[in-house]
Amino acid sequence: MRWAAVIAIAVLLALPAVLGSYAITVFIFIFFYAFLGQAWNIIGGYAGQLSVGHAAFVGLGAYTSAMLSIHAGLTPWIGMLVGGVVSAALGALIGYLGFRFGLRGFYFVLLTVAFAEIFRIIALNTDWVGGAQGLYITFTGDPRQFQFQDNRVYYYVSLGLMLLATGVVAWIERHRFGAYLVAIREDENACEALGVDTFRYKMLAIVVSAFLTGIGGTFYAFYLFSLQPNSVFGIPLSVEIVIRPIVGGSGTILGPILGSFILSPLAELSRTYFSQGGWTGMHLIVYGALLIGVVLFLPQGAYPALRRLLLRVRG
Amino acid sequence: MSERNDPKTLHRRTFLRTAGAVAGTVALGFPAVLRAQAPTVKIGVIHGVTGPLAEPGQACRLGAQMAAEAINAAGGIKSLGGAKLELLLGDTQSKPDVARTEAERLINAGAQLLQGPFSSGDAAAMVPVVQQRRVPFLIDIAAADPITANVAKAVREGQQKVQYVYRNFPTGTMFGQLAVRYFNAIFEEAGVSPKRVVLMYANDLFGQSQSRGFQAAHKAAKPGWDIVEVIPWPEPPSDLSTEVSRAKAARPDIIAPITRPASAQLLLPELAKQRVDIMGVVGPGSPGLYEAGQIAVLKEHLEYVMDSVPWPNFKNPRTRAVADEYAKRSGGKTFDTNSGYSYDGMLVIADALERAKSTDPDVVVDAIKKTRFTGHLMVSAGPVVFNEIGDNPNASTALIQILGQKPVVVWPKEAAQQKAVFPRPKR
Repeated sequence: MRWAAVIAIAVLLALPAVLGSYAITVFIFIFFYAFLGQAWNIIGGYAGQLSVGHAAFVGLGAYTSAMLSIHAGLTPWIGMLVGGVVSAALGALIGYLGFRFGLRGFYFVLLTVAFAEIFRIIALNTDWVGGAQGLYITFTGDPRQFQFQDNRVYYYVSLGLMLLATGVVAWIERHRFGAYLVAIREDENACEALGVDTFRYKMLAIVVSAFLTGIGGTFYAFYLFSLQPNSVFGIPLSVEIVIRPIVGGSGTILGPILGSFILSPLAELSRTYFSQGGWTGMHLIVYGALLIGVVLFLPQGAYPALRRLLLRVRG
Repeated sequence: MSERNDPKTLHRRTFLRTAGAVAGTVALGFPAVLRAQAPTVKIGVIHGVTGPLAEPGQACRLGAQMAAEAINAAGGIKSLGGAKLELLLGDTQSKPDVARTEAERLINAGAQLLQGPFSSGDAAAMVPVVQQRRVPFLIDIAAADPITANVAKAVREGQQKVQYVYRNFPTGTMFGQLAVRYFNAIFEEAGVSPKRVVLMYANDLFGQSQSRGFQAAHKAAKPGWDIVEVIPWPEPPSDLSTEVSRAKAARPDIIAPITRPASAQLLLPELAKQRVDIMGVVGPGSPGLYEAGQIAVLKEHLEYVMDSVPWPNFKNPRTRAVADEYAKRSGGKTFDTNSGYSYDGMLVIADALERAKSTDPDVVVDAIKKTRFTGHLMVSAGPVVFNEIGDNPNASTALIQILGQKPVVVWPKEAAQQKAVFPRPKR
């Protein structure tokens, strides 16, 4: 297993030498969404607290570092961490409200969606942060401004983010913290009865998750060069974040990565093959059908199925 | 990368493709002469043809396609040996990340220029791609000022060498300025001096930026009329009766609405129902007030309503011919703002290629900068030119009015099909 990981990382590190700029862009988004999915995985997958408002953390992180860069000239390399901390603070607030008042299941989902919507509406109506028009970032290609003339640098940055989040998840899984989170997910009452401070561990999980997601916001801002409330705080982005770990297998280390490696290429392939002809929107139908197929046949996600297959092959 | 567009350099891929074609023709027994076709110029046309902004995106795509077909039918790019324009189509789904990937994909597939998109966030995400990969990019709709201005700034400050991004569409700021100017012109022409304007708008991205631009331009121009009340509503609204009674209470001479199709269908009947006594309804740039579908639903409520929007110049016979064909191919839709500006965008690209006599990106950019194109179909203040920011200062809106259940241009004078009916007749 360890060797497989080393080889996979070595291959990913070497890939840009042979890939064209388009393929590199596809990989960048695979890594980036795997990173966001992995960050979500901590609270949503391991701790089983379904957040469908993770866009709030992306947006807050993105707006924070973009505002600091535009108005205070602060490099996004630092702004990124500030954005992470601000998002973590929001995570703590959402977590406190949700966990202190015992919101579980659908109620927690609603809480997270509501927060993302609140931030979307605030951003939409605050001139100071650009209102509905949003923020536009000047493309300079200056590495000090977290911008790169060469697309391959973005590749390594997004790969680094994915590996960072995966490292954090791997660490959590191997430690008592991870065991507590899984226990909370499986039976929170029993877990509490055994003396685990479930509130504390859920808080910790959402704060770490929000911090990482907030960092991702900076990448979003300085890779796509504009922020609009609807695109960074909107429900579609939250769904994009959640869907990869679910398809790949939530609550597993490789789930979000696998999900991203399945979904992003699927979307690309269906768009490449079905958008040139006169069939406007055909690619979305194909993508949707494939997605339904994945969910139908691999209800637990792709990773558990893959692992069963590997175990069977090994005997 | 610098050699990508140089026809003299033989690339492995070009070689393989040519070799394959030759082998194919030989194998099939056709004379090789048949293969010596005119060269093509590949243009990536990227719009959001699915997703929330699919309708305008599809109008843009069809406009660009029809323009390319017309250019090809007229002999292609003559200075490039009659090269035909080959369009590579992309779909942003109105998502910036998809827009960026699509730009990369089409450039990878050989696009030598890009045209598009409708949404400003999509355009902003495409900018770094074209700057990195040196591909001239003509924005045909996306109106947010900073998109071109930011690139111009980076070039001015030496962070980027060449600006590859240009735009042939009025910017957000220009929209507001033109609307205020048209209000003044119409009041003056009619010899009336309304004092009280109530601005009502759909509180979404478009409505908000339009209303802000209008207010800012009003403040700067200090005309003889005031915006006495500003009333937003959440879009889509379920009912606008409170908003309209608020407007009525402000005793307006003019209602200036920025609607969407759904809210226009509520607002105009409500104004009639509450008998708001005004000289007219004049939109400072509002969808929902002129489309064929809206006229069919709102009927007499839309009669005499005016709106400041980018509009084709129907005094030009070529515009009328294109509009007829567009209606046929789109299932009866009007050739208007989006289809029209995308059509013009492709004409501007062809004009630049013709003068560049090359597809080398820097030569094409030089040609774009020197553009002085008069063959455009849209109402504008002069030929298509590009200023130091990369925008066309002559891009314009027109003031249209619904007269006899049809939108007609009433201002600027050169493009006006009829005189404006203002103030509107009492009912």
